[in-house]
Amino acid sequence: MNKKILVVDDDKDILEPLSLILESEGYAVDAISKGKDVYSRIGSFKPDLLLLDIFMSGTDGREICRMLKRNNKNKSLIVIMMSAHPTAEKDSTNIGADDFIAKPFETADLLTLIEKKLQ
Amino acid sequence: MNRINRYLNPIERLGNGENSFFLPLIANISLSILSEMYAYGIAHNPMIVGMYIIFLNAAFIIYFSFRDGVLGGFISAIITVLYYFYIIYTRHYSGQQFTAGVDTTIMLGLIYLMLALIIGWLKQTIDKLIGREANEKIWLQTIMQQLAVGVIITDNKGRIVQTNKQLEHILGMKLPLGFHMGRDSNPLFTTMDNKPKVPAQSTFYQTLKTNKPVVGREFSIQRKDGKNLVVQVNSSLIRNKKKKVIAAASIISDITQQKELERQKDDFLSMASHELKTPITSLKMFIDLQRQQLEEKNSQKAKYFNERIGDQANRLKELTNDLLDVSRIQTNKFRFNSEEFDIASVIHDTVEGLQGTTKGHEIFIKGAKNQQVRADRYRIYQVLVNLLSNAIKYSSAGKKILVEAKRDKDEIIVSVQDFGIGISKTQQEKIFERLYQVTDTQEKTFPGLGLGLYISKQIIERHKGKIWVKSTKGKGSTFFFSLPLRIPKG
Repeated sequence: MNKKILVVDDDKDILEPLSLILESEGYAVDAISKGKDVYSRIGSFKPDLLLLDIFMSGTDGREICRMLKRNNKNKSLIVIMMSAHPTAEKDSTNIGADDFIAKPFETADLLTLIEKKLQ
Repeated sequence: MNRINRYLNPIERLGNGENSFFLPLIANISLSILSEMYAYGIAHNPMIVGMYIIFLNAAFIIYFSFRDGVLGGFISAIITVLYYFYIIYTRHYSGQQFTAGVDTTIMLGLIYLMLALIIGWLKQTIDKLIGREANEKIWLQTIMQQLAVGVIITDNKGRIVQTNKQLEHILGMKLPLGFHMGRDSNPLFTTMDNKPKVPAQSTFYQTLKTNKPVVGREFSIQRKDGKNLVVQVNSSLIRNKKKKVIAAASIISDITQQKELERQKDDFLSMASHELKTPITSLKMFIDLQRQQLEEKNSQKAKYFNERIGDQANRLKELTNDLLDVSRIQTNKFRFNSEEFDIASVIHDTVEGLQGTTKGHEIFIKGAKNQQVRADRYRIYQVLVNLLSNAIKYSSAGKKILVEAKRDKDEIIVSVQDFGIGISKTQQEKIFERLYQVTDTQEKTFPGLGLGLYISKQIIERHKGKIWVKSTKGKGSTFFFSLPLRIPKG
């Protein structure tokens, strides 16, 4: 069965190509642009990996990550955080994210990272 | 004083201690007459009378020399000697007695003059020293009051002995003299988060206790009027000539506005960074998706166009990164990671990556494999990319580029050599400056912002390494950078 990836980013111009790229790599992808929908979508979609933007309007990706990692049910869920913010990398490692990728990234680098994390 | 003297009668003038002539004259004459009369009253021996006169006159000369300086002493001495001669002549001495009288008077006169000279000179020197010290005090006071920073000077117990107006202005209150910086409730340590006021927090006090200066300590404070401030405190010790600590001086600067501007700049930087990078991220992904489609349809021309769009997106990405790096360097926000890695493998990867971007050049690697360094891998990669892309950019005629890593004692020296347009001596001095770009013989300019070498220099220097160039105009350039094998901490 294909691995499932949930992509969360408030920018639709990121969400759309990112979903297309991941789908073309054979992943089952679901994408949401509102941070607050994450918890319910995790329940219904049951992703293996969460690709989570840090600074979203309305919600802070770091807060989502912290909440998820606190809940034992989501222990196996891999969280990769992404951001264009210069100091974001340090933040993400402090709150228990499994990895971080800085925007703008090379598509190939992102795919390699996801593949490595899902092994 | 002279103007006042003009309105006084002679006797009053004498009392002013300004006059070096009348007072010694009157004093000497009257003293001599008095002492002579007195001496004759108690003893009839002229030798003893003479001694009285001589000593009393000497005492007067000393007094005047000390009061009025060399000139006062001289006048007093000369008057005394003249008076002696008057006595000798009016007493009708003759023969041997006369010559002995004259000789004695000349000798005494010389002694008096010497006395006047020595005492007068001493007095003048002391006056000068005292005067200078007093002047210096006035200067320091004036400067201190004019300073745009607050000043607190405490004694070696931590009690305030001096403050200035600006301090009052910054703190919104006056710290009274005698206020104990370590013990008394201190407005500088009423921190905004209301942490307990520990005496040792006081930089002034800490300076005194540890015997070490405190530099650039920042405090967030809340003034009595409710205004929140950020102040920076520098404290240092004042020692006397025997190196004993006698006081501590602290400079308090209000950096609230500066902090606010810094914060605004940081916020803007973060925002600009985010806003610029997001569309580039999107653009790059769409380019990749388009490439996939084109590969399926196998349209050569469209694939070429897609490649060109991709190159431009990458250029935009690099430029954005460079701009942000420069902003970070200037706001001291340029952060580094430290890890141990093989620089030879980074060189290999970089060369492989950049070889793909040029068809006209062949890049060769020389030097030993496996050279471990401790540095920021990404930043070193950034320097290599920069030097190699410069080598490609500035050597359109030259086909060959050499990259070498050599170990030299405690450091690794990496060099990138091209056979391109080269750099003149005058340009070599400027190329590591921000926004500087090399032009060729026809003054043709090259693309880019002129930030690459500046950023590279900052990166290498932050790693305690060096970056330099050797070049001959028209023949090519070699750029070198060195990295210590072990990076000193901090």
